[in-house]
Amino acid sequence: MESILQQKVLLLLPILFPIVSGAILLFLKSMDDRKKRQWYVAVVVIANAVFVLTAIYLGSKEAFVLYEFSEKLSLKFYIDGLSMVFGTMVSILWVITTFYAFEYMKHEGRERQFFSFFIMTFGVVIGIAFSKNMLTLYLFYEFLTLTTLPLVMHGDDGKARHCGRIYLIYMMGGASLAFIGLVFIGIYGTSLDFIMGGILDTALAQKDKTMLHVVYLLAFFGFGVKAAILPFYHWLPTASVAPTPVTALLHAVAVVKAGVFAIVRLTYYNFGTEFLQGTWVQNVILAAAALTIVFGSTAALRTPHIKRRYGYSTISNLSYILFGIALMTPSGLEAGLLHMIYHAVLKITLFFCAGAILYQNHREYEYEIEGFGTKMPIVFFSMAVVSIGMAAIPPFAGFHSKWALATAAVATGNNFAYIGIGALILSALLTTLYLFALVIRAYFPRKRQYPKGYDDAVADPNKLMTVPLLVLSGISIIIGVYPKPFMEIFDVIAQGML
Amino acid sequence: MQTLILPFLILFPMACGGIGYIIGNKKEEIRDYFLWIVTAMVLASTLLLRGEYKFLAEGFSALSISLQWGGLHSVLAVMTAFVWLVIMVVSKTYLKEHQNKNRYYFFIMMTLGAVMGVFLSADLYTTFLFFEIMSFTSYILIIHTNTKENFYAAYTYLAFAVIGGLVTLTGIFLLYDITGTLVFSELKEALVTLENKNMAYATGILILFGFAAKAGMFLVHTWLIEAYTQAPTTVTAILSCILSKTGIYGILILGGILFLHDETWGMTLVYFGIFTLLCGGILAIYSIDLKKILACSSMSQIGFILVGIGMQGVLGEHNVLAVEGSILHMVNHTIVKLILFLTAGILFLNTKSLNLNDIKGYGRGKPFLMSVFLMGALGVMGIPLWNGYISKTLIHESIVEKILLLEQAGKSTVEMQTIEYLFLIGGGFTVAYMTKIFVAVFVEKPKQKQYCKKYINGILKAVLGFCAILPSLFGIFPHLIQDNIAKLSRGFVYGQPSEHTIEYFSWINLKGAVISLAIGSIIYIVWIRMILMKKTKEGSVYIDKWPNQWNIQKQIYEPIVLQLLPFLGALTARVIGSVTEGFIVFCQITIFNNKTGKVIPKEDAYFSVYTQAGKRIFKDNLSKSLAFFGAGFAFAMLYILG
Repeated sequence: MESILQQKVLLLLPILFPIVSGAILLFLKSMDDRKKRQWYVAVVVIANAVFVLTAIYLGSKEAFVLYEFSEKLSLKFYIDGLSMVFGTMVSILWVITTFYAFEYMKHEGRERQFFSFFIMTFGVVIGIAFSKNMLTLYLFYEFLTLTTLPLVMHGDDGKARHCGRIYLIYMMGGASLAFIGLVFIGIYGTSLDFIMGGILDTALAQKDKTMLHVVYLLAFFGFGVKAAILPFYHWLPTASVAPTPVTALLHAVAVVKAGVFAIVRLTYYNFGTEFLQGTWVQNVILAAAALTIVFGSTAALRTPHIKRRYGYSTISNLSYILFGIALMTPSGLEAGLLHMIYHAVLKITLFFCAGAILYQNHREYEYEIEGFGTKMPIVFFSMAVVSIGMAAIPPFAGFHSKWALATAAVATGNNFAYIGIGALILSALLTTLYLFALVIRAYFPRKRQYPKGYDDAVADPNKLMTVPLLVLSGISIIIGVYPKPFMEIFDVIAQGML
Repeated sequence: MQTLILPFLILFPMACGGIGYIIGNKKEEIRDYFLWIVTAMVLASTLLLRGEYKFLAEGFSALSISLQWGGLHSVLAVMTAFVWLVIMVVSKTYLKEHQNKNRYYFFIMMTLGAVMGVFLSADLYTTFLFFEIMSFTSYILIIHTNTKENFYAAYTYLAFAVIGGLVTLTGIFLLYDITGTLVFSELKEALVTLENKNMAYATGILILFGFAAKAGMFLVHTWLIEAYTQAPTTVTAILSCILSKTGIYGILILGGILFLHDETWGMTLVYFGIFTLLCGGILAIYSIDLKKILACSSMSQIGFILVGIGMQGVLGEHNVLAVEGSILHMVNHTIVKLILFLTAGILFLNTKSLNLNDIKGYGRGKPFLMSVFLMGALGVMGIPLWNGYISKTLIHESIVEKILLLEQAGKSTVEMQTIEYLFLIGGGFTVAYMTKIFVAVFVEKPKQKQYCKKYINGILKAVLGFCAILPSLFGIFPHLIQDNIAKLSRGFVYGQPSEHTIEYFSWINLKGAVISLAIGSIIYIVWIRMILMKKTKEGSVYIDKWPNQWNIQKQIYEPIVLQLLPFLGALTARVIGSVTEGFIVFCQITIFNNKTGKVIPKEDAYFSVYTQAGKRIFKDNLSKSLAFFGAGFAFAMLYILG
């Protein structure tokens, strides 16, 4: 009895604590004082990160029911390998982003509102990570849309409101599709729980095979909206209107990867790969992922707005992960998860760099940063290191995951998987082009003469911004050179052992 | 413990590059001397290291990294370290007026480490890994001066490096899928059991692409001429002497290990080699820019090496001539081109021009400069008693041997004989364009121009003098030096020791050189002096007849890559991308009666903003909403009742 109580506290604390503290912050007028607020936010975020890590590494693997609506429908929480990976990744990056945001949000205004929703979102994302069944996950999934909407619309001008509306339309549309999946799992499954290998009632499922396949497809694309798969990608580049910490953390890591996370749960833990493998559904999602990979990279190449370019790049990279997942083999999942971690670290750094340039100089376009390389050494050093990683140049991060993806794809022998490999290679080329175009422009300006005052005020931002950048690029190098521990953990997860 | 010297050879220069950067921020002079010592240490350790070692680092990367010492690895490593030491020493003078020297030195040391990695690699993955690092670090070196032309050249280089790298990676990946291994020693048997070889050939072509691009093979050579001409002279020397050899190293792995004794593969390479050497030779004859001639000459010489590697496959088991010839020509070409590019550098330092018409006659009355240049020129021309003669003869002999074998078997020898003639004509081109440079710079009378008398400092003189001894030393004592190098390195591509020593200076071997010389003299007199020169009042002038209209890069590659593909991609993307957007607009029209207008503000064309929607959306749409509700209700009722 005691252990269940303990488990309850361990798991619920990191979910509820930030939600409550965030809500309190929203109503505390006294927190308008910057110093006070920063202390408050820093303490909450760091404490919560500690809670998450404690729950993950000290808690037991037991599940518990918080509230039971009916036999099947209940709010249930637990921690497994996948939640460990997702939770750890999110908490570490959340802490780093918080410090970056302290500095960045100075010029955006209405910081109290921003940070209160920022903290609340943390709790919601952890809720997604710790869910034991589809209903719980779906609940937090909807919450996530609601708590991030104010962050997207933070600018509160015509542009921001328009983008917010697009964000909402897409998210709600996606959730409604996902809901169809939830209902059918409820009908055809033995329970709603997440169990590696799936919970479908085999006899029942075989009867309505085609319908279930269609339902899976709908649910896949429904959750896929957050993972920005074609044709539901448009919200992501649009949402780059949000302040950079949001774009960096939420639209490169937390929100989009929550979509990926939900798809993994749906595919591997609810429908089960056995039911889907080798069917037309798998071919459709493989093709969609391959198409998105190339599309994202192409679109990125022709977008001169830096943040939007990275946004399109995110679209492409998310589909790398989806492609790995869609292979529906343990090695595919392993490769997908590896790319999830790599992309999280790399892309957040790239957005931080873009944000630093925007914050310091109000420059947003590719052609506006010519010759800044030596003026902002730390920012562009990080950008260069991370770009090399993203472009999959060995031995930096990003190469291993793509190699693993390709290996896993070949192993399946599926024709669509081969198409996917072609897409990977083509996209790798495009990635190199669109990322290096920025770095090269910054370091090797084409013009020799600039109007007066062009780069007078260009300099690195202060430590609150540069330290996170350096830390992240350091992490990216380390995980690139030593991918082994990750691979081992993912291997265990993909086998369903953790 | 001793195996650790292998990663040391790679990491030490890289680390010292970083230290040099820090030192250079304080004091440039100290950095220069520090890096001299570092490269000298690298050279010393490569020279002192004997025996065979293997180094394996597992778990360092996705696959393991394995390095090897001994045989060809050590020959190439010594060669690299030597060239680097020379380049580091002369850089001090050559880059006196350049900016960003710190960056240059940092990346040149990084490149050294990466090149060492390529040459010491014992599996294809390791080769590729360092090959990619090398491509990117050397890009920074090429773009060093950062002028407009330089930018274009470097960009082309990068494009070929990136596209080539990815194509090669695809190939390596497929190879790994077919064979399950990338280690050289296991690759030899890997394809033997394969029934359908077409897949293997396709894989081989993919892998070849990246390596061939770096070497400058015909069809993927277009970056080479611009990049060699525009890069700083020291960098050009490195490109020509070492980086092109990394490409050759990759091709050697394919031709000598993966497709061991495979005739189809060998024949393909021979043809590519012939095209490369002819194309390079003709371009060199047409060029009137000293560095451009040398660049095209590099391409041409790479063609000779490719023919040699191809002949290894064609000859099968008895390929020792081709093996030794191609490997020795790698070494010889490096030595010779080092001398020639450094001489070109001196000319440029003093005259600030490389156009033959401008520097005409500069070398008159400078015996040291002339003799140094002559040593390099005679070496590359393949004149007996100089080093190039030996390797070219070996490759030529391998073709002759194939003809003899075919005759014995009673088969047609037309194809091989054509190849032999083309090979000799290629040698003639070399003679012709080297004579062209020599006559222009050292024989013809200068235009009225005064140059500073002191054109070279002591250190340069010592370095160049030492390098200039090598070609004749290698050429006069072939059995002492070249044969030993060949013996040491032929095991890499499984060359069997030959039954008898080769009499390099017998008539039968001299004949090839004589024919080439004769062809070369005719080409020089007829083609260069009569067609490509014009007599004016101020003496004869070299005419620029560079065939601009025959530029495959500008006319084929660039339109395809920069216009056709992006257009197709954008078209597809736009069509797909507008599906959801169209759906949303459709819903707005049907549900809200009207589509909200789109406003694109001037300052930001990439964000679209909708106009403020009316506040009476609900009221305006009340009837419609009710209708929808009613329809839905009716449908639900029907379902429940039915």
